[in-house]
Amino acid sequence: MSYRVGVDIGGTFTDFFVFDEATLETQALKVPSRPDRPGAEVLDGVRQLEARFGIAPGEIAHFSHGTTVGVNTVIQRKGIRLCHFTTEGFVDVLEVARLRTPDVYNLLSKRPAPLIPRERVFPVAGRLASDGSELRPVDRASVETAVAKAREACAEGIVVSLLNAYRNPAHEHEVADMVREMAPELRVFCSTDVWSIIREYERTITAVIHGYVQPRVSRYLASLQDALREAGVPAEPLVTKSNGGVMSAEMGKTACAQMIMSGTASGVIGASHVAALSGYRDAISFDVGGTSADVAFIADGRPQYGIGEMIGEFPIYIPTVSVTSIGAGGGSIARIDDVGVLKVGPESAGAIPGPACYGKGGERPTLTDAFAVLGYVGQSDHGYDAVQVDIGAARRAVGALARSMERSVEETAEAIVRVSVSGMYLEVSKLVSSYGIDPRDNALIAFGGAGPMIACFLARELNMSTVVIPTAPGVLSALGGLIADLKNDFVRTIYADVNAGTATAIREGFESLRALGERWLRHEQRYDGHAVFIHSADMRYKGQSFEIEAFLDADAIEAGDVAALEEAFHAAHEQVYAHADRAAPVQIVNLRLVALGRTPKPRFDCADGKPAIAEPEDRVPVHADGRTVQAALFRREALHPGHTFDGPAIVSQSDTTVCVAEGFHARVDGYGHLILTQGGEIRCRSTG
Amino acid sequence: MPIDRVTLQILSNHCQAAAEAMARTLMRTAHSTFVKESEDFTCGLVTPEGKTFASPFDFGATWFVGLDYARGLSLIEDYDEGDVVICNDPYSGFVCTHTPDMHIWKPVFHDGELVCFAVGHVHNTDIGGAVPASLSRQLTEVHQEGLRLPPVRLYRKGELNRELVDIIMANVRMPEQNWGDMKAQYASVSIGEARVREIIARFGIETFREGVADLLDLAEAQARQVIRSIPDGEYFFADFMDEDSPAGYPARVALNLIVSGDEIVFDYTGSDPQLASSINVPTGGDERHVLLMVGAVYVLYTLDPSILRNCGLLRPLSCILPEGSIVNPRFPAAVGMRSLGVGRLMSTIFGAFAQALPDRLQGGPGSGGPLLNVRTTDNRTGRSVMANISPITAGAGASAAGDGSEGCGANQAFFKNTPAEINEADVPIRILEYGLAPDTAGAGRHRGGLSTTMLFQVFAPHTVLTARNRDRMVFTPWGIAGGAAGKSSRFIRNPGTAREVDLGNTDVVTVEPGDIIRITAAGGGGWGLAQERDPGAVIADVRGGFVTVEGAARDYGVVVRDGAIDEGATAARRRAMAAGADNEFFGHSPGRVAFEQIWTPRLYDRLTDLLWRVPVNWRFFVKHRLFDAVEALDAGEIDPDALDDAFAALIDEHPQLGEWVAADRT
Repeated sequence: MSYRVGVDIGGTFTDFFVFDEATLETQALKVPSRPDRPGAEVLDGVRQLEARFGIAPGEIAHFSHGTTVGVNTVIQRKGIRLCHFTTEGFVDVLEVARLRTPDVYNLLSKRPAPLIPRERVFPVAGRLASDGSELRPVDRASVETAVAKAREACAEGIVVSLLNAYRNPAHEHEVADMVREMAPELRVFCSTDVWSIIREYERTITAVIHGYVQPRVSRYLASLQDALREAGVPAEPLVTKSNGGVMSAEMGKTACAQMIMSGTASGVIGASHVAALSGYRDAISFDVGGTSADVAFIADGRPQYGIGEMIGEFPIYIPTVSVTSIGAGGGSIARIDDVGVLKVGPESAGAIPGPACYGKGGERPTLTDAFAVLGYVGQSDHGYDAVQVDIGAARRAVGALARSMERSVEETAEAIVRVSVSGMYLEVSKLVSSYGIDPRDNALIAFGGAGPMIACFLARELNMSTVVIPTAPGVLSALGGLIADLKNDFVRTIYADVNAGTATAIREGFESLRALGERWLRHEQRYDGHAVFIHSADMRYKGQSFEIEAFLDADAIEAGDVAALEEAFHAAHEQVYAHADRAAPVQIVNLRLVALGRTPKPRFDCADGKPAIAEPEDRVPVHADGRTVQAALFRREALHPGHTFDGPAIVSQSDTTVCVAEGFHARVDGYGHLILTQGGEIRCRSTG
Repeated sequence: MPIDRVTLQILSNHCQAAAEAMARTLMRTAHSTFVKESEDFTCGLVTPEGKTFASPFDFGATWFVGLDYARGLSLIEDYDEGDVVICNDPYSGFVCTHTPDMHIWKPVFHDGELVCFAVGHVHNTDIGGAVPASLSRQLTEVHQEGLRLPPVRLYRKGELNRELVDIIMANVRMPEQNWGDMKAQYASVSIGEARVREIIARFGIETFREGVADLLDLAEAQARQVIRSIPDGEYFFADFMDEDSPAGYPARVALNLIVSGDEIVFDYTGSDPQLASSINVPTGGDERHVLLMVGAVYVLYTLDPSILRNCGLLRPLSCILPEGSIVNPRFPAAVGMRSLGVGRLMSTIFGAFAQALPDRLQGGPGSGGPLLNVRTTDNRTGRSVMANISPITAGAGASAAGDGSEGCGANQAFFKNTPAEINEADVPIRILEYGLAPDTAGAGRHRGGLSTTMLFQVFAPHTVLTARNRDRMVFTPWGIAGGAAGKSSRFIRNPGTAREVDLGNTDVVTVEPGDIIRITAAGGGGWGLAQERDPGAVIADVRGGFVTVEGAARDYGVVVRDGAIDEGATAARRRAMAAGADNEFFGHSPGRVAFEQIWTPRLYDRLTDLLWRVPVNWRFFVKHRLFDAVEALDAGEIDPDALDDAFAALIDEHPQLGEWVAADRT
């Protein structure tokens, strides 16, 4: 007997997803999170798995985990006290950043206060030229002064980030060695060791975020390892990474910058897996919680990646699954503004006090209350963690708003839903335009507590014909960890024109990256399977001030086939920007390599359910489009592959409520996912 | 009949989404850096009457909220489906505001009826004319500023006008870029058109039409509500540009802001006559022209960030614009560098509003640093290199809410810098220092934002530096509510050496190998009395290096010894500062104070009165002669009548003027 367990530790709940390798059965479990005692929830969960499902800890052969501890440390500004050692003349790299303020129309808008204030930024004398050659050696006395000041400032760690170090890390390493020698108690982080890219702010902020969270993340992972050992789990835990892969928890203790968005990324990986299983290779992942909705795009089964993704108020430049957070969720509060217009969010009732209908002290009307008034939520209370829904409280909260709008309570509730959905439409539509995709060709994968409630309404707005509700929408992040591959990114800035003269440098650059990749997979991850290396480069036309990533053919690199390398860029440019200039000279800024070790995937059972019309448990009145209609009510566990039914309908399950709007047709696919379609399903590509 | 407010909010989101889609399509497909990095573009939807009702929030230039296309649209008769019109002439309809801005519009039809236009503009890197990039302060006529197209069809019923394209491409320096951007603009307005059709299909034509009207009404109602929160009254403020032409005299923008109930009038009487340089602001006398309104839009949005940004916002506002002035120049005045003029226009507006709302608005925003371009030679390859290096920017003014944003903010918050590593990799120069310049902020209970400074070295002979928009050497950003002015901008060659040269407001300079250049912008103005600043905040600034020990004592009265506050010395110094305080609302720079000791507001008013008695084409000349005459007089306050005497002497010298003046008098 052997089990794989994926765990996602959120702010309120910790989700477990278990896959039985023998029977291909899955189980889900939810326990309260214990931010006060990290690791305790894992212990608790492992015990419950045994008690509830008879899964002995010793039988857990694979354990993967997504965590938000990194991102939360930044958002709550609870990282360590860092100093920045910088090149003389450049003390404001963090303070000035790239200038632009967050709200350019507001005269009083300011950039967020930097994670390292300038009183803890100390210059070091020494200078490299832009080609990496030394103009002036590191001045030891200036490092001594900086270390003395850092100690005076009660620093816990030093980020060494020096100008032009992306070309030559020698000065940074020299300074780091001096610091270790002079002040062994200080942690030292070099920008070129974290992520060695050109652009001093981008490289420095990435290193700062890394150093800022490292001790906390490392402690957290250690307590996780201890908890598993104590529970008798033999598997060496893996953690999910911002890039959608996994690495060993031991590695995570030092490679923190790689796992800042661990939890968020694994949700998208889980969504792309569900999308692929159900036959939708192009999809929009839509994860809605209480205060925000996370939106990500999946193209041909793979999530879109980005650099410069925001970690709270700061960007990080390590490749990260692109997730855009929209300030709208089940707890978004509805109100009437000064000129009588109904607004929903971005203010949220959050988990506490929460929507009025949850009876945890919330009094103001939220989106969830509107759904309760309309009859979708609160029809069937069951499940071990379900909250009791107080429809009366929801009506009271929405009723207050209804009086000032001079509408009925139901009309007001419907208005709240429509306004909220149109706001989400606006934000998703922006992303759709930025990526240049057509939402009609995509399926909407809805999960999180509130995603399945809103999905049909958003799909209507976006003209999307297909919505997929995963079997267990609450545990997609946990699932994501289970199926992720071992994956690491490597970068080397070369800043070279692409021509016959530089082909050798390009080939050698990739060779050294591959050596690093080999070492990472074989030694650090102890992986002995087939290694995959994906070669790409951040390229641009000479004179452009931004780069795009082009995937390069390993043979072309090896053969020094300059024309093929250039064409790869032209084609990528054409795809992203709809034009290319094949006569223009091309530059490579960074060489990038992804090292990939495929992990064995759980095989999910695809049942051949016979088509059958599902029998509802009940029929309940819901308010929709200005009238009251009878909606069929189902329990999710009573729905099986092959079942079909039509909206309006409600599917109630332990971790969420699915609203199937009128005009949507539902079927349960072979994996148990709910496929909701309107006006004909989109074409399914082969899952390959 | 107005549509219900819920549907209106939903329609508003859909229109907004259409504008955002247009912006993203443009950003994604444009060729030039101006679009992709500087975001110097707009797009949006306007009513058949030309009123903007949707524009993007996240991207694009911030200056064009509520741009009115009416006069431009009306220059074309009988729009057909599939037509696309372009225009870049600042004097044809006053939609375009300088020649590099190529505007585009496409009519959108529903059942054969014109329902709106999808519009936009892109700043082209070059549109031909006397100088590369088409812009220079030295130009005097719009004809020197490149090819001018009055509204003309790029597409007629869906068919491209190739002859027009050929003419444009023959006249510009980088035709592929212009054509690439034009295609992106076409893609953008086409997306806009498609989205509008979807909206009409979803909401119905009646709801769309009514809803758009309601959105404009709603913005107007929001604006009126904000204006009602501003105390009624007349608030006069004048701000100056250091030079009205290369090495010229100061130029004044004067504004009497009249707030009455829920309306505001901006009276620009007393502003300088149009200049013989390209700083003029082309408005065509439109009392709600967007360039005049951008400062007010900033203020309204800052007071209430929830307001809709569309044309309706401008309805309660109007301007009085003297003809032939810097804010209403007569053809063919050059207008290419109107950004410098608009910058000063905005600070004048902020100064007027600050008097009405001293606790809700800020001191003068820092500025005067240039957009910096370097043309040099790479010694290794012998190749010529030309590139824009980082703009030198300045912090915001301080407000009751706190210190000004550092290095960049207020109405210039959209700036992005270029990393030093990129500059050094692309251009054979060495950046020796880039960051905030200590002590440059205007002191106050809250201090202004510091300006940025750059120190760099060049290595090749005949290296040409172009420093566009240099200003604020003499007339620096003012403080409010007792706060001090920001420190002067600087442009120095070889600072601290025997070869030091102060380059002043020069905007083009040739330098030689080994030369080191320092450029610093002027810092933001302070808010409140400096001697009332929390000494803890001052010492924190000293520890952070934002204020020097000398600056702390001089500007804030906080005496720091060995890293700690000397309480006794501080108290004494602050008492002395309080005793010497002048109780003025505005804190002005020493340069402005000295200037106004001679050129009192009364004297300057008299000057503009006199200038308006001569023909437009004479005013700049007469202004300079009268300034010469005043300079020749003894220093000290000058009786306005003395100016009359100088004017009379000038008439005697030029009898052809006498007839005009006499005729005008009658």
